Amino acid sequence: MEKARISGLQLFLLMTGFLLGSRLIINPGTEAKADGWLAILISGTGGLLLITLYSLIVLLNPSRTLVEILRDRFGNAIGSVVAVFYIWYFIHLASLVFRDFGSFLVTTTYPRTPMEVIIALFALSIIYAANSGIEVMGRISEILVPFIPFLSTIIGASIVTTHDFTAFLPVLENGIKPVIKESLNLLTFPFGEAVVFLTIFPYLNNKRHLKKITTLSTLLVTVLFLYIFFRNIIILESHFLEQATFVPHLTSVLFPGINLEPLFDVIMIIGGGIKITCAIYAAVISLSQLTGAKDYRIFTSCIVAFSVILSLWIHENIFELFSWTGNVWAYYSIPFQVVIPFILLLFSLFKKDKLQDEE
Amino acid sequence: MKISKLAILFMLSILLPGCWDNTDLTDINIVTALGIDKDEDGKIIVTVQVAEPAAVQLTSSTHGGGGGSAQIKPVYVKSYKGETIYDALISMKSIIDKRLFLSTTQVLILGERFCKDGINETLDYLHRDYQANYLADVLVARGATPEQILKIQPDMDTIPAMYIKGTAENTAIRAKVERKMLIELFKDIKNECRQATIGQITRLDDKTVKTEGTAVFMNGKLVGWLDQYQTRGYLFVTDKVKHTTVSCSVNNSKISVEIIQSSGKKNVIFKNGEPAKLSIQMRLEGNISEYIGKETLNSPEDIRIIEKKISQEVKKEINMALTKAQKDYSSDIFGFGELVHKYYPQYWKKVMDKWNDIFSRLPVDVWVDIKIRQTGLIKSPMKKDE
Repeated sequence: MEKARISGLQLFLLMTGFLLGSRLIINPGTEAKADGWLAILISGTGGLLLITLYSLIVLLNPSRTLVEILRDRFGNAIGSVVAVFYIWYFIHLASLVFRDFGSFLVTTTYPRTPMEVIIALFALSIIYAANSGIEVMGRISEILVPFIPFLSTIIGASIVTTHDFTAFLPVLENGIKPVIKESLNLLTFPFGEAVVFLTIFPYLNNKRHLKKITTLSTLLVTVLFLYIFFRNIIILESHFLEQATFVPHLTSVLFPGINLEPLFDVIMIIGGGIKITCAIYAAVISLSQLTGAKDYRIFTSCIVAFSVILSLWIHENIFELFSWTGNVWAYYSIPFQVVIPFILLLFSLFKKDKLQDEE
Repeated sequence: MKISKLAILFMLSILLPGCWDNTDLTDINIVTALGIDKDEDGKIIVTVQVAEPAAVQLTSSTHGGGGGSAQIKPVYVKSYKGETIYDALISMKSIIDKRLFLSTTQVLILGERFCKDGINETLDYLHRDYQANYLADVLVARGATPEQILKIQPDMDTIPAMYIKGTAENTAIRAKVERKMLIELFKDIKNECRQATIGQITRLDDKTVKTEGTAVFMNGKLVGWLDQYQTRGYLFVTDKVKHTTVSCSVNNSKISVEIIQSSGKKNVIFKNGEPAKLSIQMRLEGNISEYIGKETLNSPEDIRIIEKKISQEVKKEINMALTKAQKDYSSDIFGFGELVHKYYPQYWKKVMDKWNDIFSRLPVDVWVDIKIRQTGLIKSPMKKDE
């Protein structure tokens, strides 16, 4: 484990950036149409529970990261196997976000640039960030992440010229089913993905504030999602919302007079960059602990290269990407995000007394 | 080590700053207006109006001086046929030299035949392409092809597209044409609870066009027109009037009232689970801007009489628009369907497909309330004292 420490504010911003990440491109709650706000509320509540679960695990296993906790609780053999799966999951997560951003930038801002070039250039800066360590990542987020809520709010407030504030009616037009489905989607992407932070929480300098920080971050993200949802539905109407590939981008184009698109791309690159960096960092830290390597930096370049290639090969076209993130990702993620952490918590609670007795 | 760092810095300075497909301003054709029409065989005719920045500058600086030298025209207009809009735009390169840059499109003119065949599916390209300018003004050409309209050479502006855009924009002070941006048209098309409307443009002569009136659509197909007064009635109901002036006559004198504020509320009244009545409530505020007559104007009663007359006038316009929409076109352009969808979703699901017929049969209550606040710099009308 690195000797580094990050402050509470840095963790808060890092996590907020991570959670906002690529959900800023794909509108939160589109599947549920006008009921998206319900889905956001439900998933926000669920996300709060999940993230509290993660912080409890870290609090019960002080100064240990994911791999060490897994080995402690499940035994060396099973723990290592589960850790390998987790490393795969983190790499997969990073490659998905890479692909999201590649698709987005190729469609809107750089239509004739090959996606490989965009993703590769993006990857270079991410290798640099991950190699610089968690302290630098914390400071980067301190500088950059405040831009995301700030700019989104400004864009939203200045675009709303039509005041149809009843655009989200009628409530539950198509029944509760799409809402539940969309809540599950939102719960696993982005809230459950915070399982990555099992490798980052231990670096917090003051553990007493951990639960407060994670709660605040989740609440802020939920509120921002709601804000973005209402902004989009007021401007675009529910009938129109499902049509667009990248809804928030469409809203940004509507600003009369000046072109807000670059501003919007900046927000997305900040969020996505932080998200990928966290996922890559989690993967390489876990890998180095699994193999017993002294320095995690030797893995960074090859893991990033691997996930870049994975991101380019994994989906043939944009619909595959969307149908994967919309339909498969949720079920694929549940073991990693809910089942294993929950078992881990039970084990930690159960064995805690035993360990203390022995001591 | 130092050399490798320098090399990386050098590489980054090459890689990071520019776009992959960077194009210089001199290598593109700046499209200011786009016209879309259909010919008899169902082929799409696309017309572009391209501005020549150098010539625009030249004409504006030597304006009035009448430079004798051979001048480049500030704009040129070209048309081309194709299977789809994109096909026509790309094939057009056979007669146009440089790449067409669409993001600067100010006006989109749709042809009558194109609209009659339906716009719901055919405008896909303008929504899908990253270059499309969602804020372009859309107008339907009546009695002329888009090409004829885009070929005018106005005196007021060197670029016809800017002139056309200007006439559409100033509807904010007259409310005689609906200003519809491309994005709003897409919303109308997508929304099954209301029918689309687009502003109307006609060609007067070589130098002038007129934007007045509205094209009414039904399921994406052009079905008819509203004249300028019906258009205003329609705009009143849909709450899109910002400023306008309404005139009436009282005892042989003519009065114009400037409407400075207008708010329209519509409602669908349900009885026993069925819609029984449509209601429209208008609240207007205005100032007297002209009074040609011999009466005196100094008591609140005088104002009240004018208020009554003006509200009758507004009511008349609204009723005209309603009659057209209900009886002639049976097309719910006002969006009453949206209210039904929002507040009675169960009923809406049942009647979704036949809502326009139901809408046409419903009686309408129109209620107009106007408050006249100011009378300008003078009180009584101007006349010789007796």
